[in-house]
Amino acid sequence: MYIIVVGAGTVGYGLGLELQALADHEVVLVDRDRSRAGALREELGEMVVHGDGTEVVFLESVGARRADMLIAVTGDDGANLVSCQVAKHWFKVGRTIARVNNPRNERLFRELGIDSTVSATGAIMAQIEFDLPEHTFIPLMKLHGSGLQLVDLHVIAGSEAEGAAVRSLRLPENSIISLVVHEGGAPEVPNGDTVLRAGDEIIAVIPQEAEPEFRRLVAGATVTG
Amino acid sequence: MRVVIMGCGRVGSTLAARLEHEGNSITVIDTDPYSFRRLPSDFQGETLVGSGYDESVLEAAGVQEADAFFALTQGDNRNLLGSQIAKHIFGVKVVVARVSDPFRGEIFANLGLRTFSPTNIGAQMAYDALIREQ
Repeated sequence: MYIIVVGAGTVGYGLGLELQALADHEVVLVDRDRSRAGALREELGEMVVHGDGTEVVFLESVGARRADMLIAVTGDDGANLVSCQVAKHWFKVGRTIARVNNPRNERLFRELGIDSTVSATGAIMAQIEFDLPEHTFIPLMKLHGSGLQLVDLHVIAGSEAEGAAVRSLRLPENSIISLVVHEGGAPEVPNGDTVLRAGDEIIAVIPQEAEPEFRRLVAGATVTG
Repeated sequence: MRVVIMGCGRVGSTLAARLEHEGNSITVIDTDPYSFRRLPSDFQGETLVGSGYDESVLEAAGVQEADAFFALTQGDNRNLLGSQIAKHIFGVKVVVARVSDPFRGEIFANLGLRTFSPTNIGAQMAYDALIREQ
């Protein structure tokens, strides 16, 4: 696979190192800062190229036309968005991944067809939510292309879901409860008769826009986050 | 018309003054408050310090009620991010982005944005001036 990484800051450098270790892939790491690119070239060799990863002519020169993937991880959301859009629409790169610095831009990036977005804020929030009792809803991952997401949440006492059989729940359309982990740690693939108890952990696949409805159903009105 | 302009450089301030003179309601956004000195002294429109490519700043500028949005900073990528937020998140009807790199401008024009390139326009005018002189 041929992968172009745009932005050789801390994130891009780390990615470059990891990807370089995978022998099957060809990787190019680009940065528009000449001295940064020069210093990294000393260390990582020819895979580092100086240039502007949002510029058509430059991307062409590093072979964007045959790239399988472009990953834009600069600290500038504008650059990351434009780089991915140029890759996708001009060079027909199959998969584009963008770092999102301002979490509010995640929605725009998705609407504009960027295949995956990664937000440090979002990732750290998900980690914190594991430890905060009042945050019982954790988005685990977005499913590629479908608008669905995998979520993890706990059944809260007093919610509509508590004491209810799965079949009697009015789940949002296209939502599936895939796994129930009962208190004590026994996992169960639920059927319609499975009864949800307070404290049960649920892994579910839901449409991203159904999140508020699903939270209300399972986690009740006690959730504010 | 309600118009929001991102970038109060020479192009942005000139457009703001002209549109206001014609009776439109203008909000100008720039990260540098010093740039507002370029607006005429009798400018009645609003000025807002912040990044025009930040959703919350655009919201504060009232872009959700704007009839038109112009992204006129010197940064192509900033302009393209700001104008796509205005168009896709806030649904502004007329969105125009200044994109110096003609190739990039063309790609985004194909994606439905209105773009113009000061590079192409400047080169064309210089060329025309030469032709006229001959």
